[in-house]
Amino acid sequence: MNEGTTTSPASATQPLAQPATARPSPADAVAPRVAPPWRSALVVLAIGAAAWWALPEQLGLLTRIAIAALFVLSLDLVVGIAGLPTLGHAALFGAGAYAAAIFALRVHADPLLGLAVGVGAGALLAVLSGLFLVRYQGFTFLMLTVAVAQIVASLAQKARDWTGADDGLTGFTMQPLLGRFAFDLEGRTAALYAVAALAVGLYVARRIADSPFGLAVRGIHENRARMAALGTPVRRRLIAMYTLAGALAGAAGALSAQTNAIVGLDSLSFALSAEALVMLILGGAGRLYGALVGAAVFTLLHHTAASINPYHWLFVVGGVLMAVVIVPPDRAWAWLRRRLGGRT
Amino acid sequence: MLTLLSNVLIDGMAYGMVLFIIAVGLTVTLGLMRFVNLAHGAFAMIGGYAAALLTREAQWSFWLALPVALVATAALGALLEAVVLRHLYRRSELEQVLFTIGLAFFLIAATNALAGPQVQLIVLPPLLAQPVDLGFRTLPAQRLLVIAAGLVVAAAAAWIVARTRFGIWLRAAVDHPDTAATLGIPIRTVQCASFAVGAALAGLGGVLGAELMPLEPYYALKYLVLVLVVVAVGGMGSLVGSLAAALALGTVETASKYLASDWGSLFFFLAMALLLAWRPNGLLRR
Amino acid sequence: MAFNKARRTLTLAMACAAAAGSLPAAAQTVKVGILGPFSGPFAHYGTLFKNGAEAYIASQGGKLAGKEVELIYRDTGGPNPGQTKTLVQELIVKDKVDYLGGFIFTPNAFAVAPLIQQSQTPAVIFNAATSAITDKSEFFVRTSYTLWQVTVPLAQWAAKNDIRKVVTAVTDYGPGIDAEAAWKSEFARQGGTVVESIRMPMATTDFAPFVQRIKASGAQAVYTFLPGGPPNLGFVKAYNENGLAKAGIQFLGTAEMDEFDLQKFGDAALGLTTAFHYSAAHDSPANRTFVEALKKKDANAIANYASVGAWDGMHVIHKMIEATDGRKDGLKAIAAARALQWESPRGPVRIDPKTRHIVQNVYLRKVEKAGSQLVNKEVQSFGPQVDHGLGK
Repeated sequence: MNEGTTTSPASATQPLAQPATARPSPADAVAPRVAPPWRSALVVLAIGAAAWWALPEQLGLLTRIAIAALFVLSLDLVVGIAGLPTLGHAALFGAGAYAAAIFALRVHADPLLGLAVGVGAGALLAVLSGLFLVRYQGFTFLMLTVAVAQIVASLAQKARDWTGADDGLTGFTMQPLLGRFAFDLEGRTAALYAVAALAVGLYVARRIADSPFGLAVRGIHENRARMAALGTPVRRRLIAMYTLAGALAGAAGALSAQTNAIVGLDSLSFALSAEALVMLILGGAGRLYGALVGAAVFTLLHHTAASINPYHWLFVVGGVLMAVVIVPPDRAWAWLRRRLGGRT
Repeated sequence: MLTLLSNVLIDGMAYGMVLFIIAVGLTVTLGLMRFVNLAHGAFAMIGGYAAALLTREAQWSFWLALPVALVATAALGALLEAVVLRHLYRRSELEQVLFTIGLAFFLIAATNALAGPQVQLIVLPPLLAQPVDLGFRTLPAQRLLVIAAGLVVAAAAAWIVARTRFGIWLRAAVDHPDTAATLGIPIRTVQCASFAVGAALAGLGGVLGAELMPLEPYYALKYLVLVLVVVAVGGMGSLVGSLAAALALGTVETASKYLASDWGSLFFFLAMALLLAWRPNGLLRR
Repeated sequence: MAFNKARRTLTLAMACAAAAGSLPAAAQTVKVGILGPFSGPFAHYGTLFKNGAEAYIASQGGKLAGKEVELIYRDTGGPNPGQTKTLVQELIVKDKVDYLGGFIFTPNAFAVAPLIQQSQTPAVIFNAATSAITDKSEFFVRTSYTLWQVTVPLAQWAAKNDIRKVVTAVTDYGPGIDAEAAWKSEFARQGGTVVESIRMPMATTDFAPFVQRIKASGAQAVYTFLPGGPPNLGFVKAYNENGLAKAGIQFLGTAEMDEFDLQKFGDAALGLTTAFHYSAAHDSPANRTFVEALKKKDANAIANYASVGAWDGMHVIHKMIEATDGRKDGLKAIAAARALQWESPRGPVRIDPKTRHIVQNVYLRKVEKAGSQLVNKEVQSFGPQVDHGLGK
């Protein structure tokens, strides 16, 4: 599950308990190769900017991919790193989306403020529901996440005056980003905004995942009892990770609300949670970049196939899912690497 | 007030029975094979579609179409189990979830390709289509059939599990699979047969519940959540638990439709969360 | 001398001709993006739009105002505002459509209002029925109906026919809430009382509880509105199967006796009363032309309010193309649309210049048998109705 992950961040940390005898000198120690957290963020920023420049007519699609990637990234923190199987992650996305939209409509339509509101809403819902959810494990936990998400969706539907319910929440226009870049029809501003937000989100996620906190959470994933025996406050760590993931999911939701200028109940739906999980597994859970790859590939496939025939798209995705289980992506990538002459 | 109460109970029981009949197969599969089969909703859909096509297109009588549809669904279930699904028993839960979701997507697309996207109607015989006047309430006879069928299924399942050899094999295989195998119990047969019966029961639920849960290609995933909820609350592998959970939750959902319809399914999921939080391993287990 | 002059003149003439030839010709192909559900439980609407729109173009000889028309269909799946917005953005920016048409669901129409306003793309609404839509952008034109438009005359008729107590049962979304508001407002004005207002969630599939509530309400009639397709079908069946007609609760509806589902109700639907703007049984030459054109396009095509909405919608687009000579000029097109009036398959219609909504006759219909088929027989015409919900 954790192959290929980095073990310590670039910033210096104390090595773990050293044996009293045989201290290796710093010169002998072979530190594991680590990638600084800003590197993957820069790569994403570069790819996103290149796509933005090269495909001016597909900027809507680029924005959608960036938002999906951020959402699935936050899911990876929960499922891949913390090992909590959730089918209710859309609740955090939708909370961020509605919060940002309501804020833009009723208070102030500045995008960055709205983004902060979305982050806060996602984090708040995550910590409140997390306090309840982390008491449970496995299938029970999974079903409870579904329950929480459906309860939030029902509340959103009831609060018609705030959320617009089935009609969707519209009527707000975002002010120019940073006071200068208006949200244009072609989506140029929106696309760069989303890609930048994704890069920042990835940086944050990398820092979290590679930090001692992140390692502790991975440890809880692998063996809860052992971590508890080591004195780790298991529940607190899990709630903290869930909250951080909620913040990122809320950010993705806020981006969606702002770039689309509309929020519908589908942003809280079970279908969205399930789709995100599928994207994550396709790309590979636990490594963060798998979330990005899965989101990008799935969204692109969906866009192309669904415009040809929406039902037949289900043949494709169903087939891909079944194939992925029969031949797991890890083995496929490894086989490919071997064939291309690299080391395993 | 009394009318309201009796309405809620009757409609709640009917709805609960449909959920129970569909959930039986899933809870047995989960409890017996520890196999998470998210394509279970597809069996309900296939059973319903088979009955719809036979009664509408081939003009068969409902009473003939129903058993044929069930046998067909059972056969499909047995085939899938023997050829594909049993290789997944040893895989992780996440992989089972993924594969069966993929299978469900595939079946949705196939259903749409074969029968189109519109809702399928099952032609009911005049006996079932007419309203029955119970004095305090008029309801379609079909609803009474649903309740009766649920009771029959529950009773039959209880009897089979407690009194027949197959039931003993089933219980042994659930509780101690390795020991059971050592004792010569044909585990593979038990697994395949239970899967097929579960699929057939799901099909029955699909046919009986077609009024409450319309048959269209997305059926396979749309109502899956409800069935999973019943299984989770009732406890995996517990038939009595599923019955209790289905009736309780069905009644809560129906009551909320009568009394607080603009709250949607809030109370259903609230009740579910509370029940699960109180008894995480199932209603009847500690 | 004369030869040189002639050569100069010829060269000049050729140069002029070349220059004229290289001027951008009036756009030969007009692109129209059509938004509708082509998958999911409402997929039949997409087909109805397609049949209506393509039958109209065929009936005009394959071209509109001498221009080739390319219809680009996009699948919205259902009430899906975010997806619709993305699709329309792509249609405007990448495919560079000149017009938009379609829209079954109100939320989808709301979502694209800012886009069509900014890009000045006229959008013709073939179906969505909430009054407020045309207010959201001056580039919306509607050829369908609104709930206020068809409900107000029905409420007046009910009051005149000794119906005093009514219960309303609507689906909890834009048009449903419009329907409820329209009924309550007009019925109260006529002296009637609404004993209970039931709102049913969009995702409802089991209508028995609501039908029981209706029975228990003590009303003389139920006024209802649901979206077409499975919700509509489920509710009417529940009304029939739970014996409401026998219990003396009359059915008052609008779009529920949709020709698409009508035959499925069977004889239980006989006598059900609705007020609506289109019946496939409308007796007029224009309607006969429409039905024939549909059958020529597809023998299974059904003439109902969605296909006639598309037919008339394409007529409006036709006139807009004519007025702008095939060039993209949103303001000119909308100005031309405001002045339109014509004989539609549903009766005489015109576009209200103020609201850009269609003004049309609303008829009182009862379901009857014609041969072996059920039809909506128009028993009375309420005359031309405006959208009573706008200008409030």
